[in-house]
Amino acid sequence: MTAMPRALLKRLASRLLMLAAVAFAGGFVAAAMVRYSPGFDSIPEDLDPQISPATLRALHEQHERANSLPVFYARYLARAVRGDLGVSQNLRQPVSDLLRRRGPVTLRLMLMGTAGGWVLAGILAWIAVWSRRAVVKTAASSVNGLLLAIPPAVLALAFFFSEAPLSLALALALLPRIFGTLRALLEDFYASPALLAARARGISPGVIATRYILGAGAPQLVALSGVTLVLAFGAAIPIETLCGVPGVGALALQAAIARDMPLLCGLGLAITVFVTAVQTASL
Amino acid sequence: MKKAAVALLIAVALCALLAPAIAPYDYSRQFRESPNAPAGRQFLMGTDDLGRDRFSRLIYATRFSILLAPAAAAVSILVALLASAISVFRARWAEQGLSGLTTLSMSLPWIFLFIMLRAMLPLNTRPAVSILVTFGLMGIAGWAWPARIFTASIRQMADSGWLLQARASGVSPRRIALVHAWPHLRAVAGAQFRALLPAYILSEASLGLLGLGVAEPLPSWGNLLAELQHPDRVTDNPWILAPLGLLMAVMICLEAMA
Repeated sequence: MTAMPRALLKRLASRLLMLAAVAFAGGFVAAAMVRYSPGFDSIPEDLDPQISPATLRALHEQHERANSLPVFYARYLARAVRGDLGVSQNLRQPVSDLLRRRGPVTLRLMLMGTAGGWVLAGILAWIAVWSRRAVVKTAASSVNGLLLAIPPAVLALAFFFSEAPLSLALALALLPRIFGTLRALLEDFYASPALLAARARGISPGVIATRYILGAGAPQLVALSGVTLVLAFGAAIPIETLCGVPGVGALALQAAIARDMPLLCGLGLAITVFVTAVQTASL
Repeated sequence: MKKAAVALLIAVALCALLAPAIAPYDYSRQFRESPNAPAGRQFLMGTDDLGRDRFSRLIYATRFSILLAPAAAAVSILVALLASAISVFRARWAEQGLSGLTTLSMSLPWIFLFIMLRAMLPLNTRPAVSILVTFGLMGIAGWAWPARIFTASIRQMADSGWLLQARASGVSPRRIALVHAWPHLRAVAGAQFRALLPAYILSEASLGLLGLGVAEPLPSWGNLLAELQHPDRVTDNPWILAPLGLLMAVMICLEAMA
């Protein structure tokens, strides 16, 4: 085995280890939140007037012993590995079923929004760097600045009421986050002697962009794509909630308002694993 | 451009500080005989559906949003700085633990983290407490990114010759931190503060729109923006857009300064 694949494998193993550690820690936080959520320590016998205080105390002690944090976490983790994330207190449905139904809706919005954001940011960055006219450069930067100043939730409302696609609102919310990195990458390349040589040889801008710029900046672009997906999920929460999209984001807010800890923690664990997996894949 | 941005920010900050003197009415005073009144001499920007003066609420909202966002950013910087310093100077395992913790914090989108933390609070949180909770939680939830940067800077410093010499000369840790290390970290802290400030202003706006931010009757830019959920009212009274306009102006000024 050559040195390169060995280094790659080592890096991959370390990333997978990190993914497992983060999932383990995320699961612990989730389990602790469910375990210590208000009402967890109450038992049905609390409402029975025929049970004596001593018996009730003994039952509570038994409940506490059976649900101590390590025991509870071990059970929670064992169930989570099998895909059982508990039952929503508010919706009375298994959390994994809710995730299965709502997940694709959010994922579709995220993917379309992210793709749109990349395309729009790419075009804007290209204009800002390639144009020789100061007015055009300033206009491109101003569009970016303006979008950075608008809360994603307001963008979502504007698109919702004008019946425009919500994925475009998400794309515009993500655009400023991508634009800065893309512009810096293009500026670096624009100032490099390699580009000057390519242009002097008459290579077309299209070939320069696809073969040289994308090739040279691939590691940064792949890393940025992972970060963009995380940002897309964050921006999707207000968009889904305000515009009535039945996705995971809206479900999270519903769970928070109803203090539905099993649902919130199941979502937290699933999102942590998803985000860490995306980050691992993009690094 | 930069001077104009600074001048506008100073003007907004002065308005916020002098809110009781500038606002014609108290932010919670209801004029029940004139709900949704149009803009006029009595109510400069009209009233909301509870009959409260929009202009007064905007002035007070600016006060809360623009003064508490820097406080939240300062909390993030302080938490990040303390955690980084302790982890670097204590033990290798502490530094690795902090690295894992920052990875975990950064694995969850901040808004989801905030939703989880907010869900753990009692339902009957008082409005005054809600404002502290909103910005306090924002400050705590946003510690991870600055902590990464501080840890790298402090690690670099800890391995430097001058720090070793200072420790060998018997200079107290407190003096090292305040006299020698802080001037090196000040620029990093300033940059982080400038990056967090607009992020927190926008975050509060998003949370307010979702109903998770500052509780009524206290005004904030976020809960004033919630009126945008009724677009028919905007056509009747365009002043409903004033909080959005002010928010965007402040954000653009902050960007221009950065």
